[in-house]
Amino acid sequence: MSTQADPAQPAEAAGPVRGRVDQAVVTAPHAATAGPVALTTAGLTLGFGTRTILSDVCVDVRRGAVTALIGPTGSGKTTLLRTFNRMNDRVSGYHRKGDVLLDGRSIWHPGVEVMELRRRIGMLFQRPNPFPMSIMENVVAGARAHRLVGKAGMKDVAEKHLTAVGLWGAVKDRLKDSPFRLSGGQQQLLCLARALAVTPEVLLLDEPTSSLDPAATQAIEELVRTLVPDITVIIVTHNLAQALRVADRTIFLNQGRMVENGETRQLFEHPAEEETAHYVAGRFG
Amino acid sequence: MSERAGGRPTGARVASGGHGASGRHGGASRSPEGMWPPVSRRRKAGNLVFWLLCALALALVIAPTLWLAVDIIGKAVGNWQWNVLVTRTDQLQGGLLQPLLGTLVIASGAILIASIVSILTGMYLSEYATGPLRSVLRGAYEVLAGIPSIVLGLVGYVTLVVGLHWGYGLLPAVLVLSVLAIPYITKATESSLAQVPTSYREGADALGLPPSWTMRRIVLKSAVPGIVTGVLIATAIIIGETAPLIYTSNFSDVNPSLAHVTHLAVPSLPYMVYYFSFLAQPIKHANILSADAALVLLVFVLVLILLGRVIVAWSRRHAE
Ligand SMILES: Nc1ncnc2c1ncn2[C@@H]1O[C@H](COP(=O)(O)OP(=O)(O)OP(=O)(O)O)[C@@H](O)[C@H]1O
Ligand SMILES: [Mg+2]
Repeated sequence: MSTQADPAQPAEAAGPVRGRVDQAVVTAPHAATAGPVALTTAGLTLGFGTRTILSDVCVDVRRGAVTALIGPTGSGKTTLLRTFNRMNDRVSGYHRKGDVLLDGRSIWHPGVEVMELRRRIGMLFQRPNPFPMSIMENVVAGARAHRLVGKAGMKDVAEKHLTAVGLWGAVKDRLKDSPFRLSGGQQQLLCLARALAVTPEVLLLDEPTSSLDPAATQAIEELVRTLVPDITVIIVTHNLAQALRVADRTIFLNQGRMVENGETRQLFEHPAEEETAHYVAGRFG
Repeated sequence: MSERAGGRPTGARVASGGHGASGRHGGASRSPEGMWPPVSRRRKAGNLVFWLLCALALALVIAPTLWLAVDIIGKAVGNWQWNVLVTRTDQLQGGLLQPLLGTLVIASGAILIASIVSILTGMYLSEYATGPLRSVLRGAYEVLAGIPSIVLGLVGYVTLVVGLHWGYGLLPAVLVLSVLAIPYITKATESSLAQVPTSYREGADALGLPPSWTMRRIVLKSAVPGIVTGVLIATAIIIGETAPLIYTSNFSDVNPSLAHVTHLAVPSLPYMVYYFSFLAQPIKHANILSADAALVLLVFVLVLILLGRVIVAWSRRHAE
């Protein structure tokens, strides 16, 4: 399944993405693990007001892989994820030390435009949040605003991305309808199609299946596997079985610290840290 | 967010039923029916007294409204002739034509100006202003809402009619009435914008869409029914205002003219209600015209409020 090319990623986009790989390795020498790195956090310490939420987090996220972010409630998973696309920037009392590098370049570099950064780093939320406009407009909203498609190409783009998420058959006769009449799982798939339509390089998923039933969850999980290696995926989950099913690599966060970061099987079966072993074991009973 | 949603004037989606439902659950889950102790006599008497007080209060609100409506309709309908709407007022005789036109022009002008100012203010307060500045600005328009209209009229008289030597006219009337309407529309705008779910804004942010896109395509679109309702209510409120007009437009029997927005007194229906009434004029036909003018205003207000209701109902049906 992972060999299937993602239709969201135009062929020409693959070139520059690969081209940046070496650059990333060169300019991020502190990357602890070998292999192409898409995102790196360097000593990231972050808080709101007087509270510190993340302390000295150093992680590497491999390009073209699925990385799971696990940890107990309140450990800072969502905060870390929202830092990657700078969604925390405007939260009141936010302060930060350290850095996040995308392809070796700071995401806070003055030359980085936040709109463009968010186009490159897409996000899917815990609850599906389609816009109050038709299904078709939902899919193309981002692509239209970023001028990736003109008025004439809208239908094609919508079909391409709805097909990619397996929703085309269900909605092709109701493209003009409100998205709120779709089931929760279908709404989440629609949001995924909307995110894919702006051709992101990285996709952040924050517990994307926590409000969905097992069948819809499976659909999303299978879909996530089809996105790699064209898109780098980071998925927050409380469901350790899900992490095992979809993630190549896993990061374990606890109380705002990065405890362990490694290959998923390795981390679950032979954790290096006592804390990880404890969490993983506790979760499985 | 929730703190801002507090005192919404339009009531659009506020009573969505959540509270009622949770209340019922709370009661049912406490203990089985048979376990409740019998209700004491004292409690029953207390309930009855409270119920009676509520009924009395309701009657106190409804009775004057009904009495007023019946009185106005009774006085006007008996002598009603449709052609008063197109007959010119001539001294104390004739029809309602110029005052009707005057009221329409004054109210439209005032609502136009007030809407532009208020919607921008509401957008600024809800989307951009923060901290103490927001509190100060919000306090300012809430105080404005509390100023009696006759005081606003007097201020208009002192500053515009006399101070700027405009004399009585369309422009001072429009300006003063627009000031009267601003707090209502601003409040409606601000709270309608605050009702727009954060998940829409976050979704748009996460796609890298610019704030202007979010404003145009999501926020304003969701807020429009609430804002329009606010505009209609404000129109209903200012259309019958008399006190500010005494000081600003005064009365005459000319047609309102956009070429003479100052130095030309403009007739209006509310002024006519007062000026042609049996209190002021001992002429039968004038008194009938006064009642007719009151009836027309009443119909305007009812239509505006009904329209507001329809929009709220419609938007609720189309919300999800
Ligand atoms: N805007 C904010 N202001 C203040 N504190 C915040 C803010 N956002 C998050 N926090 C705090 O940061 C900590 C981490 O929150 P975060 O949402 O990242 O946890 P999480 O790991 O995603 O938890 P969960 O698994 O329950 O979703 C929590 O203690 C939370 O209260
Ligand atoms: Mg979370």
